[in-house]
Amino acid sequence: MTCSAVDAEKLALARRQVFLALFIALAVSLHILESLLPSPVPWLRLGLANVMTLTALYLYGGRAAWTVSLARVGIGALLLGRLFSPGFWLALTGAIVATSVMIIMHRICRRYLSPVGISAAGAAGHALGQVLAARLLIIQHEAIWQIAPLFLFFSVFSGVLTGWLATVLLQRLGQHPAFQTAGVAFDEQAGKN
Amino acid sequence: MPWNRPLIIGIILLLLALGWLRTNSGETDQVRRSQLMMGTIVEIVASGRDTGQLDAAVDDAFAEMARLDRLLSRHYQDSDVSRLSQSSKGSKVAPETAEVIALGLDVARRSKGAFDLTLGRLKILWGIDQENPVIPTPAAIAEALEGTGVQALSLEGLNLIKRSPQLMVDLGGIAKGYIVDQAVMVLKKHGITSGAVNAGGDMYLLGQHPEHPWRIGIQHPREQGGILATVKVRDMAVVTSGDYERFFEQDGQRYHHIFDPGTGSPARDCQSVTVITDSVALGDALATALFVLGPEKGLALLAEYPGSEGLLVAADGTLHPSPGWANYAGSP
Amino acid sequence: MKTPWQLMTGGDWLVVLTLLGISVAGIAWLAAAPKGTRVVVTSGDQTCFVAGLDQFHSVDLDGPLGKTHLVIDATGAHVTSSPCPRKVCISMGPAKHSGDLLACVPNRIMVRIESPANEDVPYDLLSR
Repeated sequence: MTCSAVDAEKLALARRQVFLALFIALAVSLHILESLLPSPVPWLRLGLANVMTLTALYLYGGRAAWTVSLARVGIGALLLGRLFSPGFWLALTGAIVATSVMIIMHRICRRYLSPVGISAAGAAGHALGQVLAARLLIIQHEAIWQIAPLFLFFSVFSGVLTGWLATVLLQRLGQHPAFQTAGVAFDEQAGKN
Repeated sequence: MPWNRPLIIGIILLLLALGWLRTNSGETDQVRRSQLMMGTIVEIVASGRDTGQLDAAVDDAFAEMARLDRLLSRHYQDSDVSRLSQSSKGSKVAPETAEVIALGLDVARRSKGAFDLTLGRLKILWGIDQENPVIPTPAAIAEALEGTGVQALSLEGLNLIKRSPQLMVDLGGIAKGYIVDQAVMVLKKHGITSGAVNAGGDMYLLGQHPEHPWRIGIQHPREQGGILATVKVRDMAVVTSGDYERFFEQDGQRYHHIFDPGTGSPARDCQSVTVITDSVALGDALATALFVLGPEKGLALLAEYPGSEGLLVAADGTLHPSPGWANYAGSP
Repeated sequence: MKTPWQLMTGGDWLVVLTLLGISVAGIAWLAAAPKGTRVVVTSGDQTCFVAGLDQFHSVDLDGPLGKTHLVIDATGAHVTSSPCPRKVCISMGPAKHSGDLLACVPNRIMVRIESPANEDVPYDLLSR
């Protein structure tokens, strides 16, 4: 009987599962922490949880990013008691648009952009996704688009901030052996599917 | 230091933007706010250069109106009016209440009872504010009218004396006007020179609308959305009383909220009355009195108040303006 | 730790500045654009419904007594049903001129017609 811990592929896969779970837990914690802080407009938050989504994207790829972001929205809403509330649908739409944008940018322009730029784009997507959801679900009137430019403006700054934090995190994580093989293993995994 | 330069530039830009936004009001600003109070919509308009000053003035005006409403309305248990109604001989009242009652008693006298402050029980009997008003029997009306009239109430300093214990005072025909006047005083105290306070159609126009004298439309009593006339005023009160504001219809007859103290039923001689005078309290009381008196006697009473003008719409729809009405009426 | 702007690549700056540029342009455009006549409904202190006067709307407005129903059509904005005792709000008729006000006082619903400053209205205030 071979020790499964030695099998590099299985090890990498196990690591991926464990770390994604940790990332989700961290993202949810960041989300809840943020929701406790005061903010001029209820939905206007820094989106620190996005740091984990970005990190997952860079370390484990697009599927992992979806896992972390959707799980964060769902579990966060569950814990805050906002599951299926209007705010939940706004957050979900924002997360879907943001994650899609970030994955696309990561796939296409990874060479030209650092996590900061990708995060900024993702934050913009998040803001617009929220306005879109608000237009469809809450205020059925075109007037809601009037706040879009303002949301967009502030989202760029929060995107730069979270992108910077993600970069720092990735640099630190990259120094640990547990994360060296992860990226490689995932690419192989992706190649098999 | 790598931190400093872009951060400082960013903060400077932000401050410049904020500064630009604030100073963009070099022109005249107009603040227009409405609140639901005194059972109607109260709208205050104020124009000036300093939005902060305008906002503070309007806030204070609304606060003062709410305070006076608590004092003068019979809908609050602890108001001066309610306490008076509950007492058997009379009670001491606040100076503001005394002021309103003194003015009301004066108009009541000069209108020979057409304006009456003592119809509290009659109004409750008709239940004009309730869901299902019922036409009271003549006996019930007679009972509610007992003890009312010009002699029923007298004022000595701050002491109000009732002739009969079950008398209930109702300041509905004058309190709103007084409260508007006080709100205007608050605006003036804040240095506002152009504004308006409008409580459900009873209003005072302070100064003029920035570009021209205030243009006040007068509601047509029978056409929804129609205008009877437009008057141009400055520093005057405009008050309209009509039979279309609060009413119910039964058997083809309209029962509204302006009662004839003589019959105990809604007054029948007019559809609406508009009075232009220098205080809203006086305008409020006069409009009610004129409505009850009808065109002929009403215009005669109005003539006793020089400087005040009015327009009466008789029950048959004909218009009866006072001699000086044309000074204000801008268009036919 | 390096600051964000030290980490950012040329591509990053392109993305960030483009997004900022779009948002600022949007804000400026909105500030300058003329606004059409609107119907603004408030319940207490909160604005609960805003719509243009030019489109058909049929909405329920929530108040402490229940739902006041507002319809915006060619005649203006008017109340068609309300849980208040006297239904004064319904008898007030349609509001369509700038500055017109309707209210269901018991249900604390207030409807206001607002329009840009340069619209010509026949009067500043209505005495009724």
